[in-house]
Amino acid sequence: MSDGTAPVLEARGISKGFPGVLALDGVSFRLAAGEVHALVGENGAGKSTLIKVLTGVHQPDRGELRLHGGPVSFGTPLDAQRAGISTIYQEVNLVPQMSVAHNLLLGREPRGRLGVIDTGQLYTQARRVMSRYGIQTDVRRPLRSLGMGAQQMVALARAVSIDARVVIMDEPTSALEPREVDTLFGVIGDLRAGGISVVYVSHRLEELYRICDQVTVLRDGRVAHTGPLAGLERVKLIALMLGRDTADVRLRGQTEFAGRHTAKNGQPVVEARALSRRHQLHDVSIRVRPGEVVGLGGLLGAGRSETAKAIAGALPFDGGAVVVAGHALRKGSPAAAIRAGASLLPEDRKAEGIVPTMSVRDNIALAALPRLSRAGIVSEARVDRVVQTLMKRLRIKATSPHQKVSELSGGNQQKVLLARSLATGAKVLLLDEPTRGIDVGAKAEVQALIDELAAEGLGVLLISSDLEELVEGSDRVVVLRDGAVVGELSGDEVTEEAIMRAIADGGGVDG
Amino acid sequence: MAETAGTLPKPLGGRTRTLAWLQRYGVYASVLALLLFNVAFTPHFLEVANFRTQLIQVAPIVIVSLGMALVIGTEGIDLSVGSVMALSSAMVVLYLGYGAPVAIVAALVAGAAVGAGGGALVAYAGVQPIVATLALLVGIRGLANVLVPQLTEFRNPALITLGSRSVLGLPLVVIIAAVLTAVVAFLVKRTIFGRQLVAVGGNRAAAKLSGLPVRRILVAVYVLSGLLAAVAGVLATARLQASDPTSLGLLMELSAITAVVVGGTPLTGGRVRVLGTVMGALLIQLLQATLIKHNLPQSWTQMVQAVIILAAVYAARGRKK
Amino acid sequence: MSRRRGWAALAVAALLATGACAKSEDTSDTPAPAGSAGEQVAQSAAADGPTCTLQSFGGQAFDVKTATVGFSQSEKEANPFRIAETQSIKDEAKALGIANLRVTNAQSQFSKQISDVQQLIAQGAKLLVIAPLNSDGWEPVLKQAAEKKIPIITIDRKINAQPCTDYLTFIGSDFYEQGKRAADQMIAALGGNGEVAILLGAPGNNVTTDRTAGFKDRIAEKAPNIKITFEQTGEFTREKGQQVTEQLIQSRPGTSGIYAENDEMALGAVTALKGAGKTPGQVKIVSIDGTRAAVQGIVDGWLYSVIESNPRFGPLAFQTAQKFVAGEAIPATTIISDREYTTANAKDSLGHAY
Repeated sequence: MSDGTAPVLEARGISKGFPGVLALDGVSFRLAAGEVHALVGENGAGKSTLIKVLTGVHQPDRGELRLHGGPVSFGTPLDAQRAGISTIYQEVNLVPQMSVAHNLLLGREPRGRLGVIDTGQLYTQARRVMSRYGIQTDVRRPLRSLGMGAQQMVALARAVSIDARVVIMDEPTSALEPREVDTLFGVIGDLRAGGISVVYVSHRLEELYRICDQVTVLRDGRVAHTGPLAGLERVKLIALMLGRDTADVRLRGQTEFAGRHTAKNGQPVVEARALSRRHQLHDVSIRVRPGEVVGLGGLLGAGRSETAKAIAGALPFDGGAVVVAGHALRKGSPAAAIRAGASLLPEDRKAEGIVPTMSVRDNIALAALPRLSRAGIVSEARVDRVVQTLMKRLRIKATSPHQKVSELSGGNQQKVLLARSLATGAKVLLLDEPTRGIDVGAKAEVQALIDELAAEGLGVLLISSDLEELVEGSDRVVVLRDGAVVGELSGDEVTEEAIMRAIADGGGVDG
Repeated sequence: MAETAGTLPKPLGGRTRTLAWLQRYGVYASVLALLLFNVAFTPHFLEVANFRTQLIQVAPIVIVSLGMALVIGTEGIDLSVGSVMALSSAMVVLYLGYGAPVAIVAALVAGAAVGAGGGALVAYAGVQPIVATLALLVGIRGLANVLVPQLTEFRNPALITLGSRSVLGLPLVVIIAAVLTAVVAFLVKRTIFGRQLVAVGGNRAAAKLSGLPVRRILVAVYVLSGLLAAVAGVLATARLQASDPTSLGLLMELSAITAVVVGGTPLTGGRVRVLGTVMGALLIQLLQATLIKHNLPQSWTQMVQAVIILAAVYAARGRKK
Repeated sequence: MSRRRGWAALAVAALLATGACAKSEDTSDTPAPAGSAGEQVAQSAAADGPTCTLQSFGGQAFDVKTATVGFSQSEKEANPFRIAETQSIKDEAKALGIANLRVTNAQSQFSKQISDVQQLIAQGAKLLVIAPLNSDGWEPVLKQAAEKKIPIITIDRKINAQPCTDYLTFIGSDFYEQGKRAADQMIAALGGNGEVAILLGAPGNNVTTDRTAGFKDRIAEKAPNIKITFEQTGEFTREKGQQVTEQLIQSRPGTSGIYAENDEMALGAVTALKGAGKTPGQVKIVSIDGTRAAVQGIVDGWLYSVIESNPRFGPLAFQTAQKFVAGEAIPATTIISDREYTTANAKDSLGHAY
């Protein structure tokens, strides 16, 4: 499809760096007319940077953009828009208070005599446009009164009606109902027929295979693969995204994980029953027994962090229940979860973990203060004891407990957070990407610690995008896709390939 | 007072280190410098009466600043303190018919109630602190003016005593400010509440995930600020022997914010320096006194204050980089 | 969300309720204001300056009693001066049987005062009495009034425009003169010798400027041995007056006289002196205004003298208006004669103070 015809939009050898990271490293990308092109990749792969370069938000350090065969450069997003490149974000960027019709035709309203907006004409035109997109709605209503899907459709209709040649959609279905998704795909089909190109960013494999012609996989700022989607096996696509070659089965022993743990029989220490949350989680059930490490597998956006947060009380859910050590938890209360014995190590250490202004000591004691005080007054002696023990135990390297936590290395900060969880007397640890962004040595230490803790009888729920870590660290792996459990592997079934296969087609043993 | 010792920071550049030192100890150095200047150049400065005067005058600023420090520690701000002083002053004379104790309690309850209102707006309705308390700044001053439309004198001996009596040579007003300073320092340093409020200011998301009752902490902090402002209002009223809601506490929020920021508490929250705040208040007071004693225009105070705030904020920012 | 709003509403309601069961201190021993006592007397004779008649102004005669009369007050009635000023206009209108008096208050916002007056004109006012907040910026209003030939009497503060054409006339005190008279009192109090401190009014205010200049000029002229060693603003408030005086008496114990540019600051100074253990009369205080509390201060021995700035403009303003519509010539400027309160007359004059 891309052969012969000149691409509508092309990026050649684009590099873009930010302080400390090279986000894009020589990325090339071709978009042919009337093509729906999937752009995929895990966290930090460079997708959003590439989109921002294509839409004029960022200027590339190296490389060039070509539009209709000629070189272009977009100084601002407006330049890109004028050149016919439209972007539809997850968050619709229209004026919610204005009517659907006004939003649709904003800036291009039909004018009657004296330059006054011809309202009748406006509504007629708007109705015509909306019906073309299969939306039955009163175009005089304010936009915000519509559902998310319909709003998205208005945004799309608007984007197309301003003569867009290229439409970039970033996770357009994340807030849509299945019926709305069908409508959206119908519209995308129309666009394709009309020669308009679509760049489609999504983590939902189903969707990609339904509507995309081409796919480009980004990994660590480089193009890992580009080509037609139809002939590409799902498991191969996943392997590309995760940086794993299915043919190359590595030897074990790359991580510090020792091997299987012996889960104690008896009651699970944490049990999530049929957790549901609109657009994010669908009937997710997970049980972790004492002494067991349960891995959560899946791609970005599969609902892994959401599951952990829901269990920890940090994310309210619509249906289902969480039981920790026999106690049914109140929804949306981290305090209740901590009291019952479930503690979360958040994915984003800086934003949700450390309190940078406080000392190592105060950070460790933070969640456990109610246990370490009497009548509201903190017992410094008890805090000192707990902090001392944990710092030694987790080998936290700080000049003193009073050193500011922000002065520590990433790995030691992570250990401080682990210590914070342990200080609460947790019975189960919910670890969301515990080794991301820390150096190799620290990574090995954290992995060894997880083993030790499980051996001592703690339950661990482990989320990791590092497949190797997941496979070697977990006794069982529950695989999520689009917010639902699509497979569960245990014992010798836990292999990288099995996980990828489960992600790809929901195979594996049903849980 | 609320800081911990024994920190060994990573090697820092010379400039960064200077800024760090300035942010932490600049206020002490400035107070010392100003004291030395006055000792050398101001007649009658080294007299007990002079220190009494300065301490009496600084007491309400100190008390209001303590509450402000707690609020700023949570990354908030309370612009309503001056108006709360006026309201508490109005309440005192309105209820003086029941006797001084009842009147004082009424004033304190009113201050706490305003704080609860502001805190609820911030914690539960998600209104930005600066917006919520700006609304209160305007509204509460108006309410105070409605309650007591013009300056009203009183003769209640108990209340006048509160404003003018000394115990062991120390004015009651000063003793109260000192006790409240100790209480707030204890609160910040030794209690769960103190640790938690600092964590809420340092990283709200982390505080939430760690199971801290973030909303209750926020409400409590604004209640304390309202309460302390009301105490300051009562004391200022007792000292003036009249209630004047039209002018009492005007621009107090600016003095308090200055005292807190200059004292080393960053506007971005996550830290509360109690002793530094008291020093900050003293610095403002000494500055004003120095200008008055040397018969220089007081409008200079505002300009010098502005320079000091800028320096403090610069030191805080420069350090972060 | 509605529950949260409920919280806030509850807090506000609780606050409003606070005023409901209030019971303030009983202070019934202070004498009640004595009606129309202390009425203003014009000081400058009509023949002295330029005059104005109905003919030269170019208006139509009307009956003041039946006409709509507008009064625009500048600041809210939170101090004795403004309270007495508004009350005097209202009382006199009532006494004369003016049925249609409309009173507005600009709450210290000049833009509001302009729109207030425009409203009054729109409501068909035939006569306007204005206590201006500013001297400048009145052109739009004056133009509107001139088109309809509505006479404007400005009280207590002048506006920068042409009397008898842009507006009718000004009635008020001479603040410079008040300063001079305060100086005379201070000279008498100190016997022409000593160190004097000035508690200035709010900075950038023409009342402050005039009262300061009058005082200083007179001292320089009559008593060169009196030294003005200290000038600090007390911003016309009691609290600032107290604070500044506390600093003053501590660092300049030699100060023998304090000139306060209004009564509130003088009373603040008295509180400061009491707090420092001084006895009445040890430091001579002279101030300007003539509020009841200040005159009581003279009786109690804390104040030496108070120069009056009489706010009771009602009678003189309406007299002037009636003369004008009756065709008589009225002066373009009427300076009122302010009284003086001293130990000799304070006790008997308490009823005149406002």
